[in-house]
Amino acid sequence: MKTSLSSIAQRAADSLLKGIALALSVAMLWLCIRPTAPAYAQDTVLTPRQVAEYALTLEKLEADFYRRAVTAAQSGGLASAPQIAKDAIVSYGQDEAVHVRDLSAILPALGGDPNAVTIPANPNYSAILGRDPFANPADFLLAGQYVEDLGVAAYKGQVQNLQAAGEAGKTVLAAALAIHSVEARHAAGVRFLRNALLDADVNPWISENASSTEVIYNENRTGSPIPFSSAAFDGYATQDEVLALVGPILTVAEQPTTSPSNQPASSDAEDSEDIESEDSDSEDSESSSPRALW
Amino acid sequence: MIATLPETANAQRRRRRSKTLTFNADDAGILNFALLLEELEAAFYAAAVETSDITDSKELEYLSVLGAQEAAHVTFLRSVLGEQVLFETADLSFNQDGLEALLSDRDTILNTAVTLEDVGVHAYNGAGPSLTNPTYLLAAGSIVSVEARHAGGVRALLGKPTTEPDSDRLVDDDSLDADLNPFKGKAYDELYTPRQIVEILGSLGIINNSIDGALVA
Repeated sequence: MKTSLSSIAQRAADSLLKGIALALSVAMLWLCIRPTAPAYAQDTVLTPRQVAEYALTLEKLEADFYRRAVTAAQSGGLASAPQIAKDAIVSYGQDEAVHVRDLSAILPALGGDPNAVTIPANPNYSAILGRDPFANPADFLLAGQYVEDLGVAAYKGQVQNLQAAGEAGKTVLAAALAIHSVEARHAAGVRFLRNALLDADVNPWISENASSTEVIYNENRTGSPIPFSSAAFDGYATQDEVLALVGPILTVAEQPTTSPSNQPASSDAEDSEDIESEDSDSEDSESSSPRALW
Repeated sequence: MIATLPETANAQRRRRRSKTLTFNADDAGILNFALLLEELEAAFYAAAVETSDITDSKELEYLSVLGAQEAAHVTFLRSVLGEQVLFETADLSFNQDGLEALLSDRDTILNTAVTLEDVGVHAYNGAGPSLTNPTYLLAAGSIVSVEARHAGGVRALLGKPTTEPDSDRLVDDDSLDADLNPFKGKAYDELYTPRQIVEILGSLGIINNSIDGALVA
C-alpha cells in the first residue's frame, strides 16, 4: 500500500511540473490553432499501461467498496436495505471484480504488474461523505452515486490518451469503452434506487447544470464544443482531478489532521475554478479535512 | 419531433423509393451512422409519448426526457457534421407497421426503449476505436454513457437489474469482433461493428431506407 500512496504522491508532484509546462503549451495551442484544436480531455498524457494501472486502482477500490457493502448488507448497517438494493450491490460488485480480474490479466502484456497496483487494506471510505458510508442504506447509496458517476467520468477522461497511443492503445481503449458504459448503468441504477426508495430528487441521468451535491467532479466543464452541462451529455474527469478526490480514501491515516501529502494542492488551486461551483467556497478550509470527494 | 412520423410517412408516399444511406468508413461516416441511431431513438420516443399506453407519470416523464435528450444528440451531431450531414430527418422512411408493433402496449414500448438504448451503447462503443478526431471520440463517450443511463433507467422502470443480461444481447459471444472485444460478458458493454448494428436494425424492421457504404460492409 505504501507503493501506491507514494506513487500517487509522486504523480501529484509530477503533475505540478507538468501542469506548469502544460499551461504554457495549452496557452500556445489556443493562441495558434484554436479554431481547429481538438478539445483534449486530459491534462496529463498517460501511456496505455498507465491508464490500465490507473483504471485497475479505481476498479480495485470499487470492488472492495462493494465487498464491504455486501458484508454490511448481510449483518451490518445495510441489513435493512430492500432486497432490490442488496441485489444491485451484489451484481455491481461482481462486475467490478470482473473488471479487476480482466484488467489484471492484460497488464503484463503492457509491461505492468497487477500486483504492484494496490489499495490500502482498509481504505478510508469515510472520506467520501465525512461519515461511514456503510452505516445505513441512504448514505451508502449516496456514496455509491458519487463513486459510480466518478468512475464513468474517469474512464471518459482517458479515451483520448488511449486514442493518441494509436495501435498500442487499441486493446485498453476497447476495454475502457466496454467498462465505461457499464459503470454508467451502475450509476443509473444507484440513482434510480435513491429516487425510488428514498425519494431523492435524482434521476438515472445527470441533471442539467448538476450541482456539486449531485456530482462531485466538474460535470459542467465549459470551453468545449461538447455541451457538458446539458443533461444529454456526460462530463469527464482528468486523472489529476480523480486522484485529488480519491486520494483521501487511499490514505489510511486515522487522524483527519494528518497532512494530506497525497493531495495535489497546486493542481486543486489551478483547477479550483473549474471544479468548484461558485456556491462552494469551502475548498481551502476543508483541504485538510477527511471529506474527500467534494 | 412529434411531426416527424406523419411527415416521413408522407415523404414515403411521395417517393417510390426512400433515400439510400451510404456511410463512408471515416469519422463523418461514423457520426452520420450515430445520427441515424439518434434519429431512430428520437422518433421512437416522440411516437411513444403520443400513445395512450403509458399511464404512469414517472414512465411518461422518462420517455419524454429520454426523447428530448436523443433530440439533443441529433441537434449536436447535425451541428458537428455541418456540410457533411448525409441525410435530413425527412429523408428517413419509417416502416409504420413495424413501428406500431413496437408501440403496441406499455411493456413493448419500454422493452423497445431498452433495446434501442442498448443498441446505441454497443454501436457507440464499437465505433469509438475507429474515430480519428479526439473531440469526436470524447463526444461519443459523452453521449454513450447517457445512453447507458437511459437503458439502465428504463430497465429499472421494468423492475429489472440495470445492466444488460446475456439474454438481451443481440450479438452472441462467438460473433463478436475479436479485435474489438478483449473482454466479453455481463460486466462489459461489448463493441459491435456497424455491420452488426445494421443487421439488428434490419431485424427491428422500423426503417425502410437501404443502408450501404464501406462503414457497414
